Amino acid sequence: MLQFSLKRLFQSILVLIVMSFLLFVLIGLMPGDPIDNMFEGNPSLTPELMARMRELYGFDQPLSLRYWHWFSAAVQGDLGYSTMYFRPVMAVLAPAVLQTAKLLGLTLLFSVPLALLLGSLAARRPNGVLDSAIGIFSFAAISLPNFWVSLLFIILFSVTLGWLPASGVPMSNDASFLEEAQHLVLPVAVLVMFHVGPLIRYVRAAMIETLSADFVRTARAKGLDERAVIVRHALRNALIPMVTVLALSFGHLFSGALVIETIFGMLGMGKMIFDAIANTDFNLALIGLLLAITVVLVSNLVADLCYALLDPRITL
Amino acid sequence: MGFVANTLRLNAEAQTAPLLSVDDLTVSFPTKGGGHNAVVTGLSYQIAQSETLGVVGESGCGKTMTSLSLMGLVPGRGRVTGRIGFEGRDLLQQSEKQWRDLRGREVAMIFQEPMTAMNPVMSVGQQIAEVLKVHEGLGQRDSLDRAIDLLKAVGIPSPAQRARDFPHQLSGGMRQRAMIAMALACRPKLLVADEPTTALDVTIQAQILDLIIELQEETGMAVQFITHNLAVVSELAHKILVMYAGRGVEYATSEQLFDQPLHPYTQGLIQTLPDPDRKVDRLHVIHGSLRVQPAQGCRFASRCPLASDECRAAEPILREVAPGHFVACVKVN
Repeated sequence: MLQFSLKRLFQSILVLIVMSFLLFVLIGLMPGDPIDNMFEGNPSLTPELMARMRELYGFDQPLSLRYWHWFSAAVQGDLGYSTMYFRPVMAVLAPAVLQTAKLLGLTLLFSVPLALLLGSLAARRPNGVLDSAIGIFSFAAISLPNFWVSLLFIILFSVTLGWLPASGVPMSNDASFLEEAQHLVLPVAVLVMFHVGPLIRYVRAAMIETLSADFVRTARAKGLDERAVIVRHALRNALIPMVTVLALSFGHLFSGALVIETIFGMLGMGKMIFDAIANTDFNLALIGLLLAITVVLVSNLVADLCYALLDPRITL
Repeated sequence: MGFVANTLRLNAEAQTAPLLSVDDLTVSFPTKGGGHNAVVTGLSYQIAQSETLGVVGESGCGKTMTSLSLMGLVPGRGRVTGRIGFEGRDLLQQSEKQWRDLRGREVAMIFQEPMTAMNPVMSVGQQIAEVLKVHEGLGQRDSLDRAIDLLKAVGIPSPAQRARDFPHQLSGGMRQRAMIAMALACRPKLLVADEPTTALDVTIQAQILDLIIELQEETGMAVQFITHNLAVVSELAHKILVMYAGRGVEYATSEQLFDQPLHPYTQGLIQTLPDPDRKVDRLHVIHGSLRVQPAQGCRFASRCPLASDECRAAEPILREVAPGHFVACVKVN
């Protein structure tokens, strides 16, 4: 287990280094650079001055050399400066990471139990009334674009009913818990719907397969009630393939968060990466993207460890 | 006078009444066209306490559906009609709650493939303990202690360690022993064994059969033993029911059936048993397949060497041709 984790950790670090190089090159190939941004619309700027600035900041050097400079600084903990916010990257990213962690954490807290519940209910009588209703819901959740659902929710709950704030996050640190919760309800609801749709289908399929297994018949033959049969025997086995699906869906969820944060005006990771790319804020975009990659790598590692916990046939 | 006679008769019946009395059991599944397809038709048999009934027939003849209907576990939209008398009550009239109380406590079942019949992510000990928790209200520790005792009773060495193992860590024979321990945890009155030795190799088969016989002598339970293997059934059955295409075609004591098989299908089955004393060039086979069935008349007619127009006219019913020997064939006198 420990050896496995260490091996995977080493692999993950390797992947991160390779990805950081690829991202660095890709961002470097984008038109424009931070110097353009800095002096945008400044009439007193001459091409000579800009060339001197480029030289000063090292933008005249080849990409590979620039990467080496960035890398040697990054491993020492210096992630650079955000040209958009004029603050160190970490100082800009930390609150955004916290914001996104809240959004995604709350989403997972609701979407996973909901998917397990609805998927299991649907699997009890395939093609029955309940299964059809849940099927319609999950297909709607899969096919409706989440930005459109967000707008509908805002129109209904904020504009027409006036129950919840339309967007934004309370700025001050002393904002009440209730106030913050109110701002999170709509984005979390939209993301839960976005996440839960495909998950329900997976849970349903896994449960239908497991419920027809011989050991479920054995469990019934023991005289267990239906709930014990489903929860203790079927669900526990159906969960094993679900771990992979969940880990893979995490990247998808992250990309969904980008859209949702933009619509609801939340300064989360998604919005931050989007703005950084739009404003050629190299350092911020790079670290933001690498963080997103780290999240996917970690969720895959956690999935593998969960496998070993859930399935005694697997030893790591 | 009539009343006294009736009472006497009822008393006499109660004393000799078999533990299980199946009457006119029919299991059918709805078909796409809106009709019903019967996989078991009009089956009747009895099993007394301490008795073993062997149910024999080829794959697809309704053996497993018969046993699942005893547990109330016929899958999907299957419909079970007739009467399943168990200790004087009709199981088919029970509520789901009564079925649950019965399953695993009074009637228990062991299955063909012990690998897939056990939950792969639950320890063997827990799976046995679960039965005791449900039916005897034992706590975690007590039920696990009893599970270890049961594993010991079915001849598993170092039972305390094996109880912590998961099914994949046990050998096939061990797993089937553990399944038997699970089935016998609450000392059921009837054990339904659905081809429990088919997936095992021959030496293990013999061990499992011995174990079942031994446990039956100890507990006095009745056994319904389902198999397609006549050799297996000859070792432990007191009575034998031969099934063909969902119907009982011959029903007799073990001695009667092997000494004097009457139905052409039974005769065919017995002839297919290889006899090590006799050297033959080719083994005997019954030609044709179960799927080819005539629209009316005897279901075996298309494969029967004796079949005539009489056989194809009407379906023969099971009738007693000698005391305790029933056969469904018009050619038998």
